[in-house]
Amino acid sequence: MSRILQNPRSSCALGGAVAAVTRIDRAIPIYHSGPGCALQTFSGQIHASGGHSSYVTGVGVPCTNMFQQEVIFGGAQRLRETIEGSLEVMDGDIYFVLTGCTADIIGDDTAGIVEEFVRRGYPIAHIETGGFKGDSYKGYESVVNVLASRLTLEPAKKQPKTVNLLGITPSQELFWAGNIEEISRLLNRIGVAVNSFFSAGQGIETIRSSSEAALNIIFSPWLCREAEQIYREKYGIESWRYSGIPVGTTATTAFLREIGERLQIDERLVAGVVEQEERYVYDYLETVVDNLTRYRFAIVGDTNTVLGLTSFLVNDYSQIPIAAVITDEIRDEDKSGITAVLSNLEYSSAPEVHFEQDQWKIQQILRRQDLRMILGSSFEKETADELDTIFFNVSFPTRDKIILNRTYAGYRGCLTLVEDMYYNF
Amino acid sequence: MQCQEINSIACLLSMEDAVFVIHAPLGCTGCISFGNEQYKIGQHHAGRKILKNARYLATNLDEHDIVFGGEEKLKEAVLEAETRYHPGVIFIFASCASGIIADDIDAAAEKLQQEVKAIVVPIHCEGFKSRLMSTGYDAAFNAIAHYILKGYRPEPEDGLINLFAPVSIGIDDQEEIIRLLGVMGLHVNFVPFYSNLEKIKKIPAAVASASICQVFADNFMKWLSEEYQIPHVITGMPLGVRNTDEWLLGIAKLVGKEKEISEYIEREHARVTPQVAEVRSRLEGKRVFICAGTARSFAAAALIEDYGMKLVGMETPSYEEVVSGRVDKLIELYGDNFILDIANMQPFEQSNLVNRLQPDLFIGMAAWAAKQGVPTMHVNEAKRPTMGYDGILYLGRKMVDAIDNPGFNVKLARHKRLPYRDSWYGEDPFKYHKELGGA
Repeated sequence: MSRILQNPRSSCALGGAVAAVTRIDRAIPIYHSGPGCALQTFSGQIHASGGHSSYVTGVGVPCTNMFQQEVIFGGAQRLRETIEGSLEVMDGDIYFVLTGCTADIIGDDTAGIVEEFVRRGYPIAHIETGGFKGDSYKGYESVVNVLASRLTLEPAKKQPKTVNLLGITPSQELFWAGNIEEISRLLNRIGVAVNSFFSAGQGIETIRSSSEAALNIIFSPWLCREAEQIYREKYGIESWRYSGIPVGTTATTAFLREIGERLQIDERLVAGVVEQEERYVYDYLETVVDNLTRYRFAIVGDTNTVLGLTSFLVNDYSQIPIAAVITDEIRDEDKSGITAVLSNLEYSSAPEVHFEQDQWKIQQILRRQDLRMILGSSFEKETADELDTIFFNVSFPTRDKIILNRTYAGYRGCLTLVEDMYYNF
Repeated sequence: MQCQEINSIACLLSMEDAVFVIHAPLGCTGCISFGNEQYKIGQHHAGRKILKNARYLATNLDEHDIVFGGEEKLKEAVLEAETRYHPGVIFIFASCASGIIADDIDAAAEKLQQEVKAIVVPIHCEGFKSRLMSTGYDAAFNAIAHYILKGYRPEPEDGLINLFAPVSIGIDDQEEIIRLLGVMGLHVNFVPFYSNLEKIKKIPAAVASASICQVFADNFMKWLSEEYQIPHVITGMPLGVRNTDEWLLGIAKLVGKEKEISEYIEREHARVTPQVAEVRSRLEGKRVFICAGTARSFAAAALIEDYGMKLVGMETPSYEEVVSGRVDKLIELYGDNFILDIANMQPFEQSNLVNRLQPDLFIGMAAWAAKQGVPTMHVNEAKRPTMGYDGILYLGRKMVDAIDNPGFNVKLARHKRLPYRDSWYGEDPFKYHKELGGA
């Protein structure tokens, strides 16, 4: 059972789903929901992660706007009309009907109605995303499950050097777009093509042919379990999980070597790329040698961000980890794996690890520490100012920044992180 | 579209000593992200060093709660709000989900009131219950009337005026309003904007009430007139010469200061008219399309007339009785040769219209018109004055700037397109008026 939460750090399933769907090229979301859901999900998910517009955006999402009448008599007819109109007016390659609480509670047969349109040959799919079904991660997973189970075709041939990249959640992991970009750039450099689904203008074709990939890389110790199973059982694709995102030379080099081995890529090719990229990073890092200050720090955010940033900051940049607060909903059995990563850093003693989503409780955790730097969401700015520490945004929600392709991932991203740590005022 | 819950929360979110309990799944806290940001910007402008987040708790309704009810969690949230912050007031907001499963927030509030010191105020803002977004404001004010004021009668305070405003009013606009009302010897109780329980309780002490726009607190002011005999005026937003005159005169009539304010208006006209004329020469005859909030749209439509511009089309999120007189006024100003699309923000209709009308300037939410290459700007501004006589000049120059340099939109339009089929632009824009809803 879910808990009450102060200042939540996630939207609902609908919010997580629409953030993913609107990043699929020429995809059109259609809401079967109450009247406020488009504004609530765009404001609460996409705008709260430094993003703003998209192909179909905000109140431009076609919606059945369920009022009293639909609540009492059902919204089936209204849904049919809205789908008809959307197909006629909206120019897309794939349409997704996403449900809100109202439709799912009153029990409209959304799946059946969408199926009528599928039978008529329209590229349309239903995703059950009523807000009460879960948080943004749940919404993301629901999208991925539908892509994998309903829209992916039988593989025409196998592509031994193509991977599917999952687990980096659009508009929830703050630097998701930049993270995907940098990781894809590096994989491309060692000759690996990437299906990232939600970036690089990838659309329905990528989804359909994702069954041809040689491997799924899931950036999360816990997300996408169902999709993992679907890809394995339907298309024989294994998944490899990476806990966090690779940041800086130590982690990124290890990541590339692992992929190189798994996909049997020429070792010399990988070694050459690693050498060039590491040199690139250290040509810059040597210039900040006079600026290095050791900060006792706390970090608050999603698993990927906390694991990735903490590993770099401690292992490669000599920062002192005091507290790590993981704010995504983690099942008990997944907690030990996450704690293990944070307890096995190369240097320093392990930080206090907390699994906490409630703003008041997080504030209490931070206030107990002796800190010089807090990395977190816009909510932590208040605590950072109170404790007079350095602060910058690394996690959701972040409303006070525009974030486009910014990333701390990979080789180049760690330089941006170092830049952001300058603070003498 | 918006739902009323969005507006009920937005209306109250800047109350300093309140905690907000959202009885809903997490998604229904979405727009608070915007309100919280505005609230922090407001604190920053007020010179605070540590910017406080609004304190809001979601009951995070899940599948279990949908079946068995969420009242236990509601109780837990209210008790947590009390022990964490000892607030003056705890607001409980209903949602579509809580409404459909019929959680009784009134009964819950009544019971909880026995256990906490804060005043517990339930607000009925279930999204599916109203097609009018501004009923969300009414729901919030209703709750204030019945749970906080409920017959409370403070000593009347000379020269005190209630000014009802939401968080979206920037710092310079606040200061301008304080200054303008000062001309009539009035001092301002801004509510519920950055207010607190004490300021709310001062509402009945005022000699008059006014609002920043005609859709905000109109019913509440009526209630104050009946319950406390506090006279009120319902006028448009003071954007532009005509609207500012009207707004000031309306309030002056309430407090018997017509003579003073007429003289003041005359002086201000003499001061700004030459400057307006200078800007006007750059804007005269330009054709404008407007799509913003209801009150701001009507205000902008009057503003552009100050600059000799021509209204060719306007889209507003809703249509309400209180704005009906405004339509007549627009017809008086522009003839009936403009399109008024009162349709809860239907961007596909708007895009069709903008494509047909090819305006020289688009005022309001730019997401669609920008991709059509039309220069866009907004009359909403956090850091510069938009209201009163200085605001007129600021907005005038802002319109000139938008027309002078449309580079971004022009090039964006070459690279990006709207999500509508080419065939749609050949159709009647109102083809779906009955059938298809927009979000």
